Amino acid sequence: MIPVTETLPERIRARLRDTGRASRLAVGRLDALAVAGLVAAAYLAGYLWATDRLSVRSGLGSSVTVVDEPLARAFERTGQLQFEPVALVDLWVVRLLLSPIDLFVGATLAALVGLNLALAYLALVQPRSCGLGAGAGAAASVPALLSGTACCAPVIVIALGVQVSGTVITVLPWLLPLGVVLLLGSLVYVGGLVDTKNGRPVS
Amino acid sequence: MDPTRRGLLATAAAVTTASLAGCVGDTDAIGPYEPDGESGGATPEEMTASPDEDAVAETAIPIADDQLPVSYSLETLRGEVIDGGVPQDGIPSIDDPVFEPVEDVDDRFREDDPVFGVVREGEARAYPQSILVHHEIVNDEIGGESVAVTYCPLTGTAMGFERGGVEFGVSGNLVNSNLVMYDREGESMWPQMLGTAIEGPLEAASLREFPVHWSTWSDWRERYPDSTVLTEDTGYVRDYDDDPYGMYNPVSGYYREDSDPIFEPLRSDDDEPPKRMVLGARPPEGPLSIDHETLAAERLLEIDHEDATLLAVHDRSIDVGHLYRNPDGEAFELADDRLVDADGDSYEPDEASLERVYAYDAMWFAWTGFYPDSAQFG
Repeated sequence: MIPVTETLPERIRARLRDTGRASRLAVGRLDALAVAGLVAAAYLAGYLWATDRLSVRSGLGSSVTVVDEPLARAFERTGQLQFEPVALVDLWVVRLLLSPIDLFVGATLAALVGLNLALAYLALVQPRSCGLGAGAGAAASVPALLSGTACCAPVIVIALGVQVSGTVITVLPWLLPLGVVLLLGSLVYVGGLVDTKNGRPVS
Repeated sequence: MDPTRRGLLATAAAVTTASLAGCVGDTDAIGPYEPDGESGGATPEEMTASPDEDAVAETAIPIADDQLPVSYSLETLRGEVIDGGVPQDGIPSIDDPVFEPVEDVDDRFREDDPVFGVVREGEARAYPQSILVHHEIVNDEIGGESVAVTYCPLTGTAMGFERGGVEFGVSGNLVNSNLVMYDREGESMWPQMLGTAIEGPLEAASLREFPVHWSTWSDWRERYPDSTVLTEDTGYVRDYDDDPYGMYNPVSGYYREDSDPIFEPLRSDDDEPPKRMVLGARPPEGPLSIDHETLAAERLLEIDHEDATLLAVHDRSIDVGHLYRNPDGEAFELADDRLVDADGDSYEPDEASLERVYAYDAMWFAWTGFYPDSAQFG
C-alpha cells in the first residue's frame, strides 16, 4: 500500500510504478497474457470493422493495391483522428484498407483494452485474496467499452439515422482521446491494487 | 458500409442511445419519418449582397452573368454552416480522373447501379455514384473545357460547374446537409446546391452550372454507347463496393425516402417524405420543384409558374426530367419517347426547340430547406 505520509507527486510516481509492475506481471503470466492477446486481437478487428477499414465478404480473390507515394498519403487526414489508407488488401473473404496511422491508433487502443482486461482477469480469478475482483473487472471494462463507442461514434450516427446537432458533431472527435485517457486511468487504478510481490491483488 | 455492419452498429447504438437519452439527441428523431407538420429553423430573407466586381474581374473561375437566387442572407447561411466531421480535403476530390470506354467496363456495375451522366461538347461521360460517394468532386476536362462534376450524397444532388482551370475541393463543412465546396484559388466557400459563394473573395457570386443527370448504368450505356466511364484509378484506395451511407440498388439506409436527415435542415417541411426526389429549378420568377415520380408517370407537365409558362419533360431513356420555358404555350406531345410540336416536328426530350431552364434532382428536405418559398408541382 502507498504510505499516506507521501506527498502527492510521490504518490503518483509510486502508483505509476505499481501500474508498470502490474502490467508486466499481467503479460508475464501465460493465462493473463492469453486474455490480453485475445481481447486485443478481437478489439482491433472490431475497431477496423467499425471504422470501415475492414470488411468481410465473399468473392474478393487475393490482391494488393498500393497508392502512388504511400508515405505522403499516409499522413493525409480523412477525419479528426483518421488518416488515408495507402493500400487495399484483398484476401478472399477479407478486405483491408491499410492506413498505417489508423492501424497504430487501433493497435494502441487494443493493447490498452487487452491490458485492462488482463488485469481485471487477474483480480477475478483471485477474488478472495483481494476482495475487489468483480469491482475491478467492471472498472476496467467501462472505459474499454466507452472507448469502443468513441471510435465508431460517427459511423453509428449514420447507421442509426439519428439527427444530431452541430454541437454533438463537435464533441464526437474528442470521444476517442477521452477513451484513451479513461483506459489509462483504469490501468492506473487497477494496477495499483495488484500485489506485484506475490503475483496477487492486494488484500 | 455493408448492411450487416450497419445493422449491428445500429442495434448496438440504439441500446446505447436508449440508455443515454439526451446525450446524442432527441430520441424522437430515431426511426422512420413521421410527419408532424412542424417547421422552424433559419429565417428566410432574400440575399441582397452583390459580388465584389474587382474579384469577379480577376478570378479565373467563370462567374454567371446573373446572380442565382438565394433565399437567406449570407450571414444567416454562414451561421448555419456546421463541421461535417472531416477536415478540408478529408474527402479528397479526384483531380486526375481516368476514364475507360463503356465496352471495357465488364461487370464492374450492376444494371441498376446509379451513374451520373454528362453530355457536353459532343462528349458523353458517366461518373459512377459508387466512386463519387467517396470523393464528391471530380475536377475534369470535357471537350477541352475544365469543369467540376460534383455530388453530395447527403442531399442527393449531382451538379456540374464550369471552373476555368481552378480546382474545387471538399471543405469538410456542410450547410443544410449540403456539401460546401471551396475553390483552390481564393478559398471562397460554395454550397453546392446554391452555386453561390457564401464566404470569401467571391462571396455572393454565382457559378456557371450545367446539368448532370442521375441515371442507371444500363440506361446510360444503352443511350450513350460511345460514352466513357470514370474508373477506380482515382489516386486513392477506397472500398468502392461499399457506400458509407446506404445503398441505392436496392434503396436502403440513409437513402430511404422516409428516413430522417442526419443534420437538422434549415427549414422543416413535412409535405413530402424527407428523401423524396424532386426536380428543382430556380428561374428568375422564383424557385419551384416538381415531384420526380409524378413527372415520370405523367411524362409531360405544363406548368404555370408566376408569369412564366414552363414545360417539364420526362426522358424515359435515362429516367431524367428536363425543364423548358414555353412562353407561347406551344402544344407538345410525346410519341415514341420523342417530343412532337404542333407542326409535327419531333425532338429528343433533351433537345426541344425551347429555351432550357437549368434544373437538378434533389432530396425534398434539402430543396425545401434552401428554397422554403419554392412552388411545388406534381
